[in-house]
Amino acid sequence: MSSIITVSGLHKHFSVPKRRAGLWGTLKALARPEMTVVRAVDGISFTIQPGELVGYLGPNGAGKSTTLKMLTGLLVPSEGEVWVNGQVPWRERERYVASIGAVFGQRTTLWWDLPVVESLELLQHIYDIPAARFRDNLAQFRALLDMDSFLDTPVRSLSLGQRMRADLCAALLHDPVLLFLDEPTIGLDVVAKERIRQFIQHVNSEHGTTVLLTTHDLSDVEKLCNRVMIIDQGRLLFGGGLPHLMERFGGNRELVVDFAEEYPAVDVEGAAVVARDGLRVTYQFARQEITASALIGRLSARYRIQDLAVREPEIEATIRRIYEEKLLESP
Amino acid sequence: MAKHLRLYLRLIGVQLRGQLQYRTAFLMDALATAVLTMVGFGSLAMIFQRFENLGGWSLGEVAFLFGMVEFSFGTMDMLFSGFDPQHFGQQVRRGSLDQLLLRPLPITLQVLGSKFVLRRVGRIVQGALILLLGILASDVGWSVGKLLYLPIVLMSLVSFFGGLFVLGATLTFWTVESVEVTNIFTYGGSEMMSYPMHIYDEWIRRFFTFVIPAIFLNYYPALYFLDKPDPFDLPPSTSFLAPLVGFGTLVLALKVWDVGLRHYQSTGS
Repeated sequence: MSSIITVSGLHKHFSVPKRRAGLWGTLKALARPEMTVVRAVDGISFTIQPGELVGYLGPNGAGKSTTLKMLTGLLVPSEGEVWVNGQVPWRERERYVASIGAVFGQRTTLWWDLPVVESLELLQHIYDIPAARFRDNLAQFRALLDMDSFLDTPVRSLSLGQRMRADLCAALLHDPVLLFLDEPTIGLDVVAKERIRQFIQHVNSEHGTTVLLTTHDLSDVEKLCNRVMIIDQGRLLFGGGLPHLMERFGGNRELVVDFAEEYPAVDVEGAAVVARDGLRVTYQFARQEITASALIGRLSARYRIQDLAVREPEIEATIRRIYEEKLLESP
Repeated sequence: MAKHLRLYLRLIGVQLRGQLQYRTAFLMDALATAVLTMVGFGSLAMIFQRFENLGGWSLGEVAFLFGMVEFSFGTMDMLFSGFDPQHFGQQVRRGSLDQLLLRPLPITLQVLGSKFVLRRVGRIVQGALILLLGILASDVGWSVGKLLYLPIVLMSLVSFFGGLFVLGATLTFWTVESVEVTNIFTYGGSEMMSYPMHIYDEWIRRFFTFVIPAIFLNYYPALYFLDKPDPFDLPPSTSFLAPLVGFGTLVLALKVWDVGLRHYQSTGS
């Protein structure tokens, strides 16, 4: 199957005036600004297949939003190629944006003073959506997103969660083949997050809509995405499935053991004691060096064990480790 | 094209409905704008009580000029509010422009449809009244030519002011500090255009001839309507340059606007 998104050698560099200290510096900067080049996106390549649900992760300022802006045609790259659904996003803008849906986190596409339903009807005309299809889609989405209670409320009076639901609905009424989401769950409570995730999943699996979303929230990724791409300082650090990510960078797993009796020393080869609290001892071990069952075997050969549990490292900690320790730094 | 016009009207309709929700606020606003215009003209009328004419122009004749400018500027201010540099600069900074770029409609149409200040009606009606007053008070020897040319001049003025707004909005792609400067040209310019150009110093006149060619849009057409001699001895055809200069300014401004949009899409700020 051919890719729906192909990105190769994508760069976006911004020139920003250098700030200088003091009054003299400010004056000098005014007269002859010295420019610094910021490489927001610095050579990224990837492909996405139709029907994928891909998470795009990275710390603040990593280049996530810049990439997304280029994919949606808002920004023209400095260098590199982007093909989305057979089109170059920033050429023939109108034709292109008719085929995609996009929700940029905190901003709404809807009309502030209009009741939600009228905003949606206006979009029907803008996108030229046939009446029957509009009716079907709206009926489906309002049920899935539980929008009945606020359909007639002006957008300005909606809560953040309601607004996000309305925006998601608005982005999908014209049956786009692709959905771009920038931080779709930012600022929402757990229940609202969950509802949005379920909806995204539904759209992906039932409508076959390809979804690319950026997020800070790793549980978004954990629950939704079959693939993640990690970006930092404008470069792609990792692209692959979540299990693969954990396997490669998951770091140390933990084994928590409740011993049946007190032992003066509880050392074992292949694992280090990281905590000891009465009968409960926590070991850390590297997945590359020893398997959990081998470790348990060694321990139970030596000590009487009451209970035990293996803890997988959290994805959040894993990704933080990747950033902090530059595990993926390209040479 | 027809589809675009329909959508434009729908977008405007949204704005209108939003504004009519607050009926009292709307009425107060319209009234306030009207009063402001009236006070402006009233103080002018008072000066006339003392001096009887302004550079050889009677109160009626100045009213003709004043009304033309007020009416056109008000109309423009209503139609082109989306391009109002102050408002548009904020849209750019807030990222609202991105939202417009994500919709499959021409961006110019969307900006026009993003704001429509209905309360400018106050200024428009007031301007029309002053214009009418001017026509009645001064001795316009009406001809078919004059009857046909008057609406053309008004439309040219609307386009001209609209062009200035579009240019001002375009500047905010580079710097929002430009807004104050732009306001001098738009609001200040329209103010100055309300009086006969020959009362100003030469450098001001030159400015409004060569830098901002406003002189061709109100003063020279007014000379034709009021059958007044040209103190600067330009050919009589100068009075008919208004459509060329007015629509030309708008077309040119929209070209610069395209350049600004491309700049925006390459810097995203």
